[in-house]
Amino acid sequence: MSNQKKRNFQIEAFKHRVVVDPKYADKTWNILEHAIHEIYNHNASGLSFEELYRNAYNMVLHKFGEKLYSGLVTTMTAHLKEISKSIEAAQGDLFLEELNRKWNDHNKALQMIRDILMYMDRTYIPNTRKTPVHELGLNLWRDNIIHSSKIQSRLLSTLLELVHRERTGEVIDRGLMRNIIKMLMDLGSSVYQEDFEKPFLEVSAEFYKGESQKFIECCDCGDYLKKAEIRLNEEIERVTHYLDVKSEAKITNVVEKEMIANHMMRLVHMENSGLVNMLLDDKYEDLGRMYNLFRRVANGLSTIRDVMTSHLRETGKELVTDAERLKDPVEFVQRLLDEKDKYDNIIGQAFSNDKTFQNALNSSFEYFINLNPRSPEFISLFVDDKLRKGLKGVSEEDVEIILDKVMMLFRYLQEKDVFEKYYKQHLAKRLLSGKTVSDDAERSLIVKLKTECGYQFTSKLEGMFTDMKTSQDTMQGFYASHPELTDGPTLVVQVLTTGSWPTQTCITCNLPAEMSALCEKFRSYYLGTHTGRRLSWQTNMGTADIKAIFGKGQKHELNVSTYQMCVLMLFNNADRLSYREIEQATEIPASDLKRCLQSMACVKGKNVLRKEPMSKDIGEDDAFFVNDKFTSKFYKVKIGTVVAQKESEPEKQETRQRVEEDRKPQIEAAIVRIMKSRRVLDHNNIIAEVTKQLQSRFLANPTEIKKRIESLIERDFLERDNNDRKLYRYLA
Amino acid sequence: MEKIDRLFNSYANNSLGMIDPDGIEALCSDLGVDYTDVRILMLAWKLKAERQGYFTQDEWRTGLKALGVDSLSKLKKALPELENEVGKSSNYEDFYSYAFRYCLTEEKQKSVDIESICELLNLVLGAQFHPQVDLLIEYLKVQSDYKVINLDQWMNFLRFCKEQISFPDLENYDASQAWPLILDNFVEWMREKHS
Repeated sequence: MSNQKKRNFQIEAFKHRVVVDPKYADKTWNILEHAIHEIYNHNASGLSFEELYRNAYNMVLHKFGEKLYSGLVTTMTAHLKEISKSIEAAQGDLFLEELNRKWNDHNKALQMIRDILMYMDRTYIPNTRKTPVHELGLNLWRDNIIHSSKIQSRLLSTLLELVHRERTGEVIDRGLMRNIIKMLMDLGSSVYQEDFEKPFLEVSAEFYKGESQKFIECCDCGDYLKKAEIRLNEEIERVTHYLDVKSEAKITNVVEKEMIANHMMRLVHMENSGLVNMLLDDKYEDLGRMYNLFRRVANGLSTIRDVMTSHLRETGKELVTDAERLKDPVEFVQRLLDEKDKYDNIIGQAFSNDKTFQNALNSSFEYFINLNPRSPEFISLFVDDKLRKGLKGVSEEDVEIILDKVMMLFRYLQEKDVFEKYYKQHLAKRLLSGKTVSDDAERSLIVKLKTECGYQFTSKLEGMFTDMKTSQDTMQGFYASHPELTDGPTLVVQVLTTGSWPTQTCITCNLPAEMSALCEKFRSYYLGTHTGRRLSWQTNMGTADIKAIFGKGQKHELNVSTYQMCVLMLFNNADRLSYREIEQATEIPASDLKRCLQSMACVKGKNVLRKEPMSKDIGEDDAFFVNDKFTSKFYKVKIGTVVAQKESEPEKQETRQRVEEDRKPQIEAAIVRIMKSRRVLDHNNIIAEVTKQLQSRFLANPTEIKKRIESLIERDFLERDNNDRKLYRYLA
Repeated sequence: MEKIDRLFNSYANNSLGMIDPDGIEALCSDLGVDYTDVRILMLAWKLKAERQGYFTQDEWRTGLKALGVDSLSKLKKALPELENEVGKSSNYEDFYSYAFRYCLTEEKQKSVDIESICELLNLVLGAQFHPQVDLLIEYLKVQSDYKVINLDQWMNFLRFCKEQISFPDLENYDASQAWPLILDNFVEWMREKHS
């Protein structure tokens, strides 16, 4: 009887448990374990990769990954312990070789094991976050071999010993070193650093400390630097051959610190061989080496630069204050140029044109050139000498080079207005005596000055050139309109515009009759074509060429100054003349007359006159005669003296005074300009602004500026602010 | 007004129509004050007298009215009050600059000679700033850069005294401030003297 209830049809999960042979796992593991043994014993050839892989795969699949993994760890560890013993047993040099060989073996084994256990590597291990096989193998190696108590310190000391031997000149097996180091790197950067690099750097520091101490006691600076450079290069080479590339910066730092930074000052200041000596002797190679080594350490270059600067300033100061040198201005300036060239070369050849060194050079020159207040005058005299004769026969490019060098010195001058004054004086003399070597060179220099200082600086100078040219045209016109004069003495007049030329006091003298008549004719010609102008003859600046016949018939052409001409012409009408008579007749001022007579009576080779008594000084009662016995090998004899010379003390004072006077209106103009635009300004700012504005011409003195401000207050251009006494106010 | 005028006439020079130096001298002796006394200068200031040594009728009238006096005795009593009034800082600077301008006797004159300045300094500042004034006067007499003093310099003397520059070491004097050059030189002279 069936009273079957109705049941829903259900499908139930297959409850049949797959019963795995519990021994299955053990069996499989044994196979794998055996395989690992064989692999480590170099018997892998007999194994079937496919089979082993499958075994491992199954273990993982059947949830025996844990067993597999821990088995792997245990087995590998056991093997490594064996290996460790064999490495420990190695004697002496064989230690590293053994280590290396075992390491290679281990890697090969690890590779194979990893391949076999790849399924575990990809599934069980990520799931359980365990260390992957390969990494595991490395870690086990690290822990059991490298960090084994018997191996760890021995390994390190062996490596360091080898490095030391190499440093002392022995040849070592670099390939082996490279492999061992690579091993450490493979084990992880912390292993490399802790087990090798850190101790390596410490030991290296010790080594180089000792080495540098030894060298510095016995080497001179140049040799020491050579040795330091060699060591540095050695270490760099060492790194490329067998160390981690990241160690390069660290080991070079050690060498730099021990060999260079720690001894920097001692090296630089080393007696007889330090930086200063190298500079003096132009030791480019040594200097270059020092530059390259020192730039690697902090403050290295600034140390070199500072020592160079102070040396340069001192030498420069000596140069410009040495009384001997100051006797010859041209020599003086040449010495400055030579010094500049010297240092330009050093900076170019040894300091790779480093801009900071260039700047140090410039500031040093600016410092000492301005220590001597006569520098502007001397530079102008140098230029004068060059333009008169120094540049004769020099090619155009070379002329430009020399002028550019002079401009460089000019830029250093603080008192450019003083230079301008002297330059104008010297230029005037050159132009008027016709003694310039090259018109192009003159103009080229003017252009350079204009570029440097602006149009105002050179406008008057250019005016001088224009006057010369215009005068030429005027003379042509004069003779064209007076054809009857071509037989008489030839007159050449230069008409100078007063504002453009250096101010001269107007001194006239009595010209010989022929000349004064001619001059009058010129005057009326000129004023005829230029109404409203006034001409005043500057007889102290002229020259004359006169033909003379002496007692025995010697004929000569004499090139003399206008004054000298006036004196000589007197002897056409008298054989004997006393000083007083000459003075009366010519009306030449006494000091000029005495100088003039001296140059014609007391100078050997130019003594066209004879004086009684024969003393050097001119006395009021001296008598003068034509020197009938006068001889000279030249037909043309030059007696005139219109050469530019460095000024005597009183002349210098006068020029300086004039410069100071000229500066006053310039300062006032600057003050007014500034106050006009700012309206209200405080004291310190006015001083700063005025100084800045005038910088290109001269260095303004704050006291002088203050004086000018007070003067402007008195003249009601400015006033002080009622409340804040520091402020000035512009009064429109 | 009448009394004021009468007082005026008692001192005035009739041909000039104003009180002249003689008249002022007489006034002083009546007031019991030396005619070089600073109070006369103060009176001149109050009167806004334009010309040194002279008081015009207008100046007299305005001045005495401002003082609120119309007789000699009242004027005498008013003098101490006048001193107080001048002493007030707002007036003092005005009085001080007036003192200088009072010395400009010629037309277009802008500076006063050193000797007069020294006397004036003593008169005007001597009481209040005795040590500074003494040394300043000594300096002015020995220096040779300046033969006359202008208003700007004069005003700065007052500022120098007022600004509590420590004396006599002058340590807190700052030459980079806008002091006139003459004071910079004075300070330098002082420092040399004391070193």
